[in-house]
Amino acid sequence: MRRRRAYALVSLLAVTATAAVTGCTAQDQKQHSDSNAPEPGTLRVLASSELSDMAPILEQVRKDTGIKVRPTYMGTLSAVDLLAKGKVDGAYDALWLSSDDYLRLRPEAAKKVVSETPIMSSPVAIGVKPATVSALGWKPADVTWSQVEQAVADGKLTYGMTDPARSNSGFSTLISVASGLSGAQSALTDADVAKATGRLKEFFKGQKLTSGSSGWLATTYERRGTVDALLNYESILTGMKGLTVIRPRDGVVTADYPLSSLASSSKDTRESVRRLTEALRAPAVQREITQQTRRRPVVASVAPAAGLDTGRRRELPFPGSRSVADHLLDSYENKLRRPSRTVYVLDTSGSMEGGRLDRLKKALTGLTGDFRDREEVTLMPFGSKVKSVHTYVVRPEDPKTGLDGIRKDTEALSASGNTAIYTSLEKAYEHLGAGGDTFTSIVLMTDGENTRGADPEDFDGFYGRLPGGQKEIPVFPILFGDSDRGELQHIADLTGGRLFDARKGSLDGAFEEIRGYQ
Amino acid sequence: MLGSGSTLLGVRRIAGIVLAVLLIGGVVAAVVAGREDQDKRTATKTVQGVIGSEKAEFFADPDVVKALAAKGFTVKTETSGSWAMDGLDLKGYDFAFPSSQAPADELAAKFHVRQPLPRPFYSPLVVVAHRSAAEVLAANGLATVGKGTGTLKMAAYLKAAAQDRTWQQLKGAAAHGELTGTLFIASTDPNTSNSGALYLAAASYVADGGRVASSAAAVGRTAPLMHKLVSVQGAQQSSTDAAFRDFISGAGNPLVLVYESQVAALLNQGQDVGDLTVLYPDTTANSDHTVVPLTPEGRALGELLSSDPTLRRLAVKHGFRPQGATGEFTAATAAHATYLNQKLTGVRQAPVPAYKVLHEMARRAGN
Repeated sequence: MRRRRAYALVSLLAVTATAAVTGCTAQDQKQHSDSNAPEPGTLRVLASSELSDMAPILEQVRKDTGIKVRPTYMGTLSAVDLLAKGKVDGAYDALWLSSDDYLRLRPEAAKKVVSETPIMSSPVAIGVKPATVSALGWKPADVTWSQVEQAVADGKLTYGMTDPARSNSGFSTLISVASGLSGAQSALTDADVAKATGRLKEFFKGQKLTSGSSGWLATTYERRGTVDALLNYESILTGMKGLTVIRPRDGVVTADYPLSSLASSSKDTRESVRRLTEALRAPAVQREITQQTRRRPVVASVAPAAGLDTGRRRELPFPGSRSVADHLLDSYENKLRRPSRTVYVLDTSGSMEGGRLDRLKKALTGLTGDFRDREEVTLMPFGSKVKSVHTYVVRPEDPKTGLDGIRKDTEALSASGNTAIYTSLEKAYEHLGAGGDTFTSIVLMTDGENTRGADPEDFDGFYGRLPGGQKEIPVFPILFGDSDRGELQHIADLTGGRLFDARKGSLDGAFEEIRGYQ
Repeated sequence: MLGSGSTLLGVRRIAGIVLAVLLIGGVVAAVVAGREDQDKRTATKTVQGVIGSEKAEFFADPDVVKALAAKGFTVKTETSGSWAMDGLDLKGYDFAFPSSQAPADELAAKFHVRQPLPRPFYSPLVVVAHRSAAEVLAANGLATVGKGTGTLKMAAYLKAAAQDRTWQQLKGAAAHGELTGTLFIASTDPNTSNSGALYLAAASYVADGGRVASSAAAVGRTAPLMHKLVSVQGAQQSSTDAAFRDFISGAGNPLVLVYESQVAALLNQGQDVGDLTVLYPDTTANSDHTVVPLTPEGRALGELLSSDPTLRRLAVKHGFRPQGATGEFTAATAAHATYLNQKLTGVRQAPVPAYKVLHEMARRAGN
């Protein structure tokens, strides 16, 4: 139950959250911050975030056809949820997800789609360091999911992947792995998933890196250098240097990027969507798509870009019912993946008094619907110094106790004192120590500049002296109130984290988005 | 009659109406192109129709627009799922043009349209496969295969499906890594899409010993197998176009059910189809593109599409088979005889159950 509620929450927040990601370009920011009002000649498209790489091609299509696309990026599950609830009606003119497979499992969402036309495709693949490929003695064309599993079990392979609850690539990867390892010969059932739980758990022990987006996953993979492989779409892995891209021989799940028109649109709008579809499927554009994005074309006259292996792969069937897909996702979050361990370093200085503190409390309380089983959460409020350190664990046999503790502690937060950002961060690192077998990270929420304790240089020195393992703990700072962007960006860059902006969006949205990275 | 299922059908029907209204597709406006003919004729008649999506390209083809204009017609079309047209408000339309006879008959009855209905062209359902898959089927007695085309033995295939046969159990499959998992034909969702429903029509006909289902009892006899054919697929594509695109892009199941017209149109465009093998089920169902005239102009258009040599030729260009003599299709696709069974030799056509029966069959298969 807890998880279901959490997905709903994601969708409600996602629209505002898209504007909060500071990874966006200035132009994106502008697009998002504008109201989503209809505009003649412009199609408002609810799209998967990885489609941001289509911008140059869409610009070309605009020149050719006069049709402008205004994208709003969102994860598949959130977008489908929004569609099912009728919140897409009148707000968007088309839907462009990496796949409509999940959408088809929700009849109330599926009936809102009039037509769907695949534009390009990319299968899930595993990108492995060439040295690891040779060490494992793999022939890339012959590798199966079982071999990948064996390599993980033998401790010879670690990997990163995106969070299936928030990222299309992660979701497709999870389905691929579960189908591949369950031995299911046809569409996955609950029984298949149950039977494969042991093997899946073993497999996900090898996951050393999680991310809410493919971009951060790639950056962090390169920064750490200690992870052997990435699981993601072929198009993304092929775009990275130094990876041998393997599509497991026993099957993959493929994203086919259907551009879908909506029942709630006018005839004229649907005609524009149809024209856009036609333009995107013109051979010249298909050639551009495969060369620029490394996805595969869907028209017979265009060959896939050089470097995309044309050997065939079985398409693993996508589950035929929502319960199977949701149950798998639920298992992944609460049972299969390594648990997360997070310190929330929360500014409760005097300037937080009033509305800001209320918003912090509301955002944190909202998060308690989203914490996973086995997760360890530490609340570390600070002013002139760290005020308290309370740690809670969401125990699978009794999740309520831990969550109630977090809620109670949140309610008791009060604003006072100055702002000791760096001293508090140092405490967070000390608290986490060497850590265990978890995804470990720090969230820093502050509404002002550092006014007490250690200064940025002190912190740089402190971080520089941390042992290797602890250096891998990223800080995810949240811009809020009057906080200093430069200061927080530096912390994110130094520790390999990512900056989130709650000034344009909401604090709830920022906290929620960071969940994908924990 | 399906007495026991009537309540469910009623509910389904309401759902179908909602769906149908939602399914109205984009407008393909046909503009008058044949200017040289205008002086010879009085103003052209504009006729409005709702058509199955697989004919959208045909009506959008400038040559078709021109040929229609030469005969005094400007045709405006909107697309809809063939199985959803009965829920549309067709007031103001001159014709409906579903891709199957069953929904056409249902519409004709509803609007008291005189039979016979013009049936300008048709296209059989075929299974597309790559050479490797086709050869494995042949080696295991499930098909006979020539160079680019062959015959799928439906009875043998259905028996294998009933026994949950996997590709791994077929001899010769081990040499092809992609041939693993349960042996099945990927179809579209039979509850919403014509080709998926026709697949069940053909399969149930064969499974029930060459009898076309006409009652709840008949539907019940094949329901477990039909359910299996659908459930092993997991999430299904909603349109045949999407299924074919996936196949072209190298994704998807080894065996995919499409219309012959999709393959023929691709071949007519001169596209390289690689090692595509087109398997004709020895018992298949035809997509009978049937015009339901709602006005005299609509009937005139339907008859024109059936009789006008230019329009028949253009239908062939788009891969359809005009009704009547097979000569036009055979001649026009002579260059593609490697892939097409031009005369449909050895292919039997399964009768399609009545609309309500087929709907019930699809519902039970999907649940």
